[in-house]
Amino acid sequence: MPAIAAHHQPDRNFKYWIIAPAVFLLLLIGLFPLIYSLVVSFMRIDMMDTDTSFAGLYNYKQLFKDSRLWWSLAHTLLITVIALPLELVLGLAMAYLFLEKLPSRQIFISLLVLPTIISPIVAGATWRLLFDNKYGPINQIISWIAGQRVDALWTINPSLVYPAIIFCEIWQWTPFMFLILLAALSNVDKSQTEAAEIDGASFIRTFRYVVLPAIWPVMAIAILIRGLDLFRIFDIIWALTQGGPGTKTETISIYAYVQGFKQFETSYTAAIAFLVIFLLTVVCTWAIRRMGLVK
Amino acid sequence: MVTRRDVGKIGIAAGIAGTAGLAPRAAYAADGAATAVEAAKQYAGQTITIVWEAGLQSLDPLNFSGPKWKELTGIDVKVVEVPVAEMFTKIMQDFKSGAGAYDALNVIPSWMPDLANAGALEDLDPFVDKYGYRDELMKIASTYRDNQMKVNGKIYGLPDDGDVFVMYYRTDVLNDPAIQKAYKDKYGADMPVPPTNWKDFDQVGQVITEAGGGKLYGAAFFREPGYGNFMFQERFRNEGGKFFDADTMKATINSDAGVKVFTDWVAENKWAPAGVEQWGFVENLAAFLQGQTAMTISWPPYGRWAASYGTDQEVMSWVPKSTIAGKVGYAMTPGGHPELAAGFCLSVSSTSKNKEAAYLFIQWLNSEATSLERVKLPYALRDPFRDSHFTDAGYAALWPEAKDYLKALQDGANNGLLDLSLLQTDKYEEVLRQSVSKLWAGDDPKAILDAAAAEWDAITEKIGVDKQKAVYADWASKSGAYPKM
Repeated sequence: MPAIAAHHQPDRNFKYWIIAPAVFLLLLIGLFPLIYSLVVSFMRIDMMDTDTSFAGLYNYKQLFKDSRLWWSLAHTLLITVIALPLELVLGLAMAYLFLEKLPSRQIFISLLVLPTIISPIVAGATWRLLFDNKYGPINQIISWIAGQRVDALWTINPSLVYPAIIFCEIWQWTPFMFLILLAALSNVDKSQTEAAEIDGASFIRTFRYVVLPAIWPVMAIAILIRGLDLFRIFDIIWALTQGGPGTKTETISIYAYVQGFKQFETSYTAAIAFLVIFLLTVVCTWAIRRMGLVK
Repeated sequence: MVTRRDVGKIGIAAGIAGTAGLAPRAAYAADGAATAVEAAKQYAGQTITIVWEAGLQSLDPLNFSGPKWKELTGIDVKVVEVPVAEMFTKIMQDFKSGAGAYDALNVIPSWMPDLANAGALEDLDPFVDKYGYRDELMKIASTYRDNQMKVNGKIYGLPDDGDVFVMYYRTDVLNDPAIQKAYKDKYGADMPVPPTNWKDFDQVGQVITEAGGGKLYGAAFFREPGYGNFMFQERFRNEGGKFFDADTMKATINSDAGVKVFTDWVAENKWAPAGVEQWGFVENLAAFLQGQTAMTISWPPYGRWAASYGTDQEVMSWVPKSTIAGKVGYAMTPGGHPELAAGFCLSVSSTSKNKEAAYLFIQWLNSEATSLERVKLPYALRDPFRDSHFTDAGYAALWPEAKDYLKALQDGANNGLLDLSLLQTDKYEEVLRQSVSKLWAGDDPKAILDAAAAEWDAITEKIGVDKQKAVYADWASKSGAYPKM
């Protein structure tokens, strides 16, 4: 027996050596930038100076005084709380529609999914052209319907710019919700929904008590993924408005980009990044618990 | 192209220098282009990378100067096309990372203090002296030469683009007796053709719009914030505004002059084409060339394209066919002091591994001989910037009104206003861009400018009031900083 134990001893260490390169690589590309950014956030690096001396909490204190930052967070939340439920409801409705056997179902599904494979910056640039006052077809179509010339400034008028952004966002990402929910709905046990139907349960009650519990784990993941995506929304808004008019559609990602890569406020941008990491960690932890994704 | 005569000239000059024991400077004093070509041949087989504005601008090095330089010297030119809004960022990123990816650069003059102070640009004085280019450099129009070349007394860029705003107006419309009568009936005075101040401009524009029946508008403008920044800087100073109190460095853009500019813009939009708030370079160009607007203000290429110069080339197919060739007049912008908006200088990156070859390429580009060819390229956007360009007989013969056009550009250069150039200029300009954007969102002009002034003060505080005050004093002392009242 001792001979056997001695023979097995090197094996236990060998498995760690085997995974060590992968772990090292992951730490290098994952953890190192994070730690480095944290260190940078306590310095005063900007366009002109690379002052590597310790600046304490200076950048973090600045965050609390920066009203533009908090407005950009508010804009991000506004877009998230409007777009996310709309994408969910529309995606669910479409999934229900395509649950039935329809002629050319596969072709329609493929066509509907097309927007999700377009790069968001390309989608944004395309919508900007479509919304253009002079050459864009949207105002022309509205003018035909209205019977008079309509000059809606979709990317400038404060009351139109959010509907335009949210419309583009929904157009691009509702198909993502649709696909995931279609997959989830396809796996709902039909015998249970049929039994509920025979028992006289309404559509709403069947959905609430039979379908929703069955699809909830998948739906929750879809909500979480899209929620996080919306929180870091950048491309579509950048292409459409660049955060304008003024800073009225500036999101936290756009603000961080402007500070980091246009104003070269490197240390301050690192502090913004850590604020976002902190907020997302808190929100995600709460959401995961609340959604019951982790028992 | 180097001729036998050029080579001979250099040889003779070198011989004289050698016998007289002079420095190499005299050997190269003959001709900037030929000198650069001869000296660059030692780098044959190498590649230099130059940052150039993406789009039409890049066709110059891609189709003309790059291949020609390769033919003359054996040096390849790699062009990195970057949108102008990202050029500063890319240059700084390359410098900060120390990558040395770029050898030569196109730099907007107002960025030069930032780039030079950061250390991203190479001091060009030693090269200028070594290759005897100083005399030829002095033949660049004084506005550009004196104001867009140096930082702290050192040369960091060769001024290479005569960007200036010009007022274009339809001579047939403004000289139309019916419109002139309508003007006289409304204002009780003869219509000024062309208008020389903003009050007259607005009155003429309004009358034309009223007479145009929805098909012709008095004027349109750049209103998109990126361009609005330049338009504001010009008009604000023509209205008597100053950017800062020189003693305290407190921002004064929220003065009466600033509020008047914003208030007038909003009023003008009412008689300009619908949606003008969104208009940038292309929208404004299309409306003018298609005969929908009678007056506009823009950079020099509008004048060439309105006369249909070069627009028959395939690369220019995106430019709408001009319906107004032969009917365009050129004038100074209202107020008489046009913005020397943006422009370009050629610089060498401090992290370049081929500094000498890069310098020789930009000297050749900028030289009297090569630059004259470049400013005449129909597809490029480089505008006349040397005294010899303005008086070139070949250029003046390119289209019937080209002589008037060159005169307007020269007048503009002589009376032009420099873009504000401080430490971290883009931060101040970004506030202006945001302010223009807020104006189109319907915010109150005074409130917008009060907020902008406060933001400018905060930026100045962060940079350091005394530090910025010295830079501003230096900038404000330049001939093109403020109009001479």
